[in-house]
Amino acid sequence: MSYVELATVNPRAGRRRLLRKRLLRRPLAVAGLVVALAFAILAVFANQIAPYSYRATDFNAILVHHSSKHLLGTDPLGHDIWSQIVFGARASMEAGVLSTLLALAIAVPIGLVAGYYRGWIDPVIARLTDVLLAFPFLILAVGLAAILGASLRNAILALGIGAVPGLIRIARGEALALREEDYVRAAIANGARDTTILFRHILPNMMSTLIVQATVTIPLAIIGEAVLSFLGLGVQPPATSWGVQLNAAQDYLTEAPRLAVYPGVAIVIASLAFNLLGDGLRDVLDPRTQR
Amino acid sequence: MGSFVLRKVGAALIVLFLSSILVFLGVRALPGDPAIALGGENRDPAVLAQIRHDYGLDRPVPIQYVHWIGHALRGDLGTDSRGLSVAHTIVVKLPITLELASLSVLLGVLIGIPVGIISAVRRGKLSDYTSTTTALVALSVPHFWLGLMMILVFAVNLHWLPAGDYVSVSHPLQNLRHMLMPAIVLGTGLAAVLARQMRSAMLESLGTDYIRTARAKGLSEWSVVCKHALRNSLITVTTVIGLQLGALISGAVITEAIFSIAGFGRLTVESIQQRDYALIQGIVLVAASGYVLVNLAVDLAYSFLNPRIRVAGSRA
Amino acid sequence: MSTTTRVRSALGAVVAIALTLALVAVATASTGQRSSVAAPAAGQTLTIGLAEEPDALDPTLARTFVGRIVFLSFCEKLYDINAKLDIVPQLAASLPKVSGDGKTVTIKLRKGIKFNDGTPFNAAAVKTSLERHKGLAKSARASELTPLDSVTTAGSSTVVLHLSAPFAPLTSLLADRSGMILSPQALNGGGAFASNPVCVGPFSFVSRTAGDRIVFKKSSLYYAKSKVKLAGIVYRIINEPSAMAANLRSHDIDVADRLASTNLPAIKRDSSLSVIKATTLGYQGLTINIGNKTGLRNPYSNVGTPLAKHRGLREALELSLDRKVINKVVFGGTVLPDCSPVSPVQKFWRDPKLKCPGRNIARAKQLVAQSGERTPIAIKVMIATDTVAARLGQVIQSEAQDAGFNVQLVPTEFTTSLNRADAGQFDVFAVGFSGRVDPDGTNYGFVHTGGSLNDSGYSSARVDRLMDAARTNTNAKKRRALYNQAFAIVLQDRPLIYLYHPQNFTGVSKKVKGVRVYGDGLIRAAFASK
Repeated sequence: MSYVELATVNPRAGRRRLLRKRLLRRPLAVAGLVVALAFAILAVFANQIAPYSYRATDFNAILVHHSSKHLLGTDPLGHDIWSQIVFGARASMEAGVLSTLLALAIAVPIGLVAGYYRGWIDPVIARLTDVLLAFPFLILAVGLAAILGASLRNAILALGIGAVPGLIRIARGEALALREEDYVRAAIANGARDTTILFRHILPNMMSTLIVQATVTIPLAIIGEAVLSFLGLGVQPPATSWGVQLNAAQDYLTEAPRLAVYPGVAIVIASLAFNLLGDGLRDVLDPRTQR
Repeated sequence: MGSFVLRKVGAALIVLFLSSILVFLGVRALPGDPAIALGGENRDPAVLAQIRHDYGLDRPVPIQYVHWIGHALRGDLGTDSRGLSVAHTIVVKLPITLELASLSVLLGVLIGIPVGIISAVRRGKLSDYTSTTTALVALSVPHFWLGLMMILVFAVNLHWLPAGDYVSVSHPLQNLRHMLMPAIVLGTGLAAVLARQMRSAMLESLGTDYIRTARAKGLSEWSVVCKHALRNSLITVTTVIGLQLGALISGAVITEAIFSIAGFGRLTVESIQQRDYALIQGIVLVAASGYVLVNLAVDLAYSFLNPRIRVAGSRA
Repeated sequence: MSTTTRVRSALGAVVAIALTLALVAVATASTGQRSSVAAPAAGQTLTIGLAEEPDALDPTLARTFVGRIVFLSFCEKLYDINAKLDIVPQLAASLPKVSGDGKTVTIKLRKGIKFNDGTPFNAAAVKTSLERHKGLAKSARASELTPLDSVTTAGSSTVVLHLSAPFAPLTSLLADRSGMILSPQALNGGGAFASNPVCVGPFSFVSRTAGDRIVFKKSSLYYAKSKVKLAGIVYRIINEPSAMAANLRSHDIDVADRLASTNLPAIKRDSSLSVIKATTLGYQGLTINIGNKTGLRNPYSNVGTPLAKHRGLREALELSLDRKVINKVVFGGTVLPDCSPVSPVQKFWRDPKLKCPGRNIARAKQLVAQSGERTPIAIKVMIATDTVAARLGQVIQSEAQDAGFNVQLVPTEFTTSLNRADAGQFDVFAVGFSGRVDPDGTNYGFVHTGGSLNDSGYSSARVDRLMDAARTNTNAKKRRALYNQAFAIVLQDRPLIYLYHPQNFTGVSKKVKGVRVYGDGLIRAAFASK
């Protein structure tokens, strides 16, 4: 995975209404939210929105420029490019969201345990995280794809696993810090059970950090899926994703560069949207940064 | 003191050992009979059996592991399917990728730091707005797409820069010409992160009491910025680079593929796709070992500088 | 961020950078030395971009097509082919003399020539090489040379090959890797031959860097060195087709091997470049699993899929495909659509009466209905993982759908796909073969019962008889008639549906003269000039 930024967030952030107001005052973050939602709608309602099925070929209309029948033209097999982009949004959003959720589902419990309990389990988890980190993410992904076969599902698995070590560290750091908070210490002194403390005090207060982190991990996963499909390790044709489209566009770079431009721009806009949203959320949830 | 060092070294060795086993088993989990990969168009069973025997593939797995690790410790990583020494191939290719990574870091620093400083100093103004947005856009661009677009514009259409390949450092000018676009591609993301981190670090420190006092005392704005810029740069840069080295290597893989640079990253992907066991094992072992050893060296070095860590013992 | 992490990261960065500089220094020191000592004069070195990396540079062990290109510069053979695909002598002095019973083959050798390490080329060296090709444990040539029993010398420039049965394709094999003669001194010096290969040839081996380049310099010992105009040849491995085209256009390479069809228009528009088109001997098609149930070494038994059970369905599949559309959409019109394994460049072997069926959906639907199988008929087509294969797969999927087939594509990495094909774990496999000068080499292993490449598990007693007879008959015209009969049956039974013959497009800078590509698709640049 690429550039992971750590978010420092005060767990005692303000209430929801205040947050929403502050968020709405940031036009860029709002724009990000709107665009991200738009992509989500594209992804969910792809079948209804796209004028052609992603498998609809037309061998008599290959590599057409924009026309009345095809908004963005056609690709080398006669697929409608606009429809491809819409269906590509579905694969990319799936990859982005599902892999992030998977990573969180694995990393948060592990990080919590390591940071809260410490003791002997912390160093063990640290060693195993180290082993995982010692393998460059892409190598891991290539290896997984080679062993399990290349598909969207396995790409999601690889992306999720790749994000796990970084998220473990964040979750662990948060748990470690929250453990020392007064109200947690008080709860421990009062004899509250571990599970109560974890679920009532620590986890909810990690939420803001995790939400920001998730929002920032999604675009990384979208780009990651594009990378994997670009290498032929993710989504396989005839199924489509933006990465698959970029891979197919390589052969036609000199003849029809627009084939590479459209999916690339789509990736940039989608990633940008989530990044803007994540930035906005981070600013909103951390009263220390005055803008 | 001694026990601390021992513990750190022990931990590193455990990680190394586990990594090597993971590599070994992972490689063997790859589907596809490697004997066929080494066989090409000829699939005569007698030949395949002979290949398996020659590469020791017919011996039990633990024995194969011991055999391999024993040789590896002596610097012999075996030969690949082309009959070339794995260790030699790695030694030749690794510096290429490291050069790419270093140049990217250099570019990222040269662009990111000044941009971050300027946007912090001119906070709220147009230049701040544009630079932060540009940084965010740069973070959202997949670097391989950026590479494709750059090849299209600068190599294919304008013929200003070569489309790829690597020229040895013994011809420095040609080498840099070939590395320029790849380094830009890889360095852009780093520049973006650096710019953002730099900006927030500067903003944080510019708002402290210490600065208010310095300003009250009448020190020039310029010297305030300079001193702080310098100090924050070093810390920010090293922090970010330390965290991003792994991502840089990953990014180098794609960049090398697009620009046809025969470096370490691309070697890795190709070797996996060609089921070249010996090569894969050697490569991943070297990469993992490098990472672990660097971390170990840093841990130990730091403990010499700060005795308190030794006593505390656990990792921060 | 804690100070600990900051300082640790700082130290880490410093250590990493220091390591980098150290390694760069080491690497450049070593490579710099080598290049300054042995590299040929830059002005007259030809740089050829190869689309793949060759395997070991040892003719006994080598198995790649692209390796054969490299061998052309430094390792001559007993025979070679000319532009018309006729066999001509190279290291031999004349065509072989075959005895009446076909079991003794006498070859006279050229006299007075040397290997590139100075040792003399003679009958003893030829005998050593041929025995090595036949008998070395890992030899990839052994299965080609099964009829070869032994080799004897008659004087220092005549060898005699003793066969167990008449074997017509022998000379064509001696015009490829099985006929390459290696220096006995190089074979005896410790270490693998491939790490420092020595033969008779216009160029001699200098160095090889994995995944990067192979360097040769002009040989001062070559018997026709006056014909060699270049000071050296460098082969660069460029796997990505777009990088290959880009390097040719920027003149970082002089010759580009097998340009992708999608890059051709731009290259043709470039006035400093020219393109050599060569229709190859090979074919590409669809192999259908009929009888390979548990692996092609085991006895065949019908696998029970609709395609395996009904010959009519295989015909329906073929009739649903439009070869012209495939050519246009997948390859930009750069392949030669065909329905036979015999390439049109083989004018002698080509059956002039052969006519290929066009797309016929009505008939295909009829055949599907006749089979009684429920539509849509599900078939899985195993394809390669590159973008061209993806396009081909999708076109097949689209077109076959019209006849009632539901095609599922299974992109599979190359070695795994060969594995699965051999094990019978496939329905249809989109694969081809690079082709040999002799039809026996191109087809025997694929359609003969028990053939080493018969992934289809196809068995026809008549075809077996015809191919065996063609193998042992030394009369070319009679052989042709036998092959035509055999292919007629194969084309009816359709264990393979032949789709097209690849055409190789070799890009050449106009500054270079004398580069040739014959029907075998190999770039011949030994006597080129720049």
